Amino acid sequence: MKKTMSDYELIEKFVKGEQSCFEELIRRHKNKVFAYISLYIRDQALAEDLFQDTFLKVIQSVKSGKYYDNGKFISWVMRIAHNLIIDHFRRVKQLNTVSNDDYESDLFNSRKLADANVEDQLIKRQIQKDIRKLISELPDDQREVVILRHYSGLSFKEIADITDVSINTALGRMRYALINMRKMMEAKKISLTIN
Amino acid sequence: MKPMGLSSTPFLSYHEIQVENIDIYDDAWGFYQEFSDVMKLLDQVKPVPKKRLTKRLIERVRQQN
Repeated sequence: MKKTMSDYELIEKFVKGEQSCFEELIRRHKNKVFAYISLYIRDQALAEDLFQDTFLKVIQSVKSGKYYDNGKFISWVMRIAHNLIIDHFRRVKQLNTVSNDDYESDLFNSRKLADANVEDQLIKRQIQKDIRKLISELPDDQREVVILRHYSGLSFKEIADITDVSINTALGRMRYALINMRKMMEAKKISLTIN
Repeated sequence: MKPMGLSSTPFLSYHEIQVENIDIYDDAWGFYQEFSDVMKLLDQVKPVPKKRLTKRLIERVRQQN
C-alpha cells in the first residue's frame, strides 16, 4: 500500500526541487484555506487573490527557511492567511475607500440552473446565501472562530494560537457565535428546507 | 464457573482509542450536541475554490520556480 507523505515530507522534497510536492500540498489544503478566506472576505475576487497570495507567501517562507516543522503545517498556513487578511483590512482602513459589503452573488447567472430542478437549486442557493449572510453578520472575532473551526477544521488550540487568545476565549467566542446564529436564524425564520 | 476475564468487557488499550479528528475541547463543551441545528445549517455551505482558481495558482507556483 502506498504510504501518504506527511506535510513536512512534502515540504522537504519541495525544497530539494520536487515541484509536484507543493502542488500536492495545495490540493491537500486548498479547501480549508479557501473556506477561511472566502467566508471572511465577502468580495470573492479579493478572496481569490488572497487565497493565491497565501500559498505564494508560504513558498517564499518555506524557501527562506522560515518554516520549522512542529506537525502543524496547516495552522501555520492559516496564520499566514490570517495575517494577509489583517493587512488587507489595515490598508482599506488607511485608504478608507473600499467597502467589504459589495459582494452579492448572482442567483440567476448560472448554467447549472437550466437543469430540471431549477426551483430546488434556487432554494438551495438562497439558503446558502442566507447562511453566508448570517456568518458575515457575526462580530469579527466570533466569525473567525466559527470559520476556522467548522470550515477549516482547526482545533481550538490551533485557533487560539492563530488568533492570539487563550483556548477559553476561543471556546467562549464559539459559544457566543452559535448562540447569536441561532437567534438570527429564529429572527429571520431561516431553516433547512432542502436536505 | 468461568475463568475470570472471559465474560468481562474486552480491555481497550490506549492506542486503540480513536482520537483523530476529535478536538477534546470541542468534545468537552458539547457544541455539536447543543447546537446541532446551527451546525446542520452551517453544513449547507461548502466553500471550495473553483478548478480554474486552483489551476491558476499551480501555474503561478510553477512560474515562480
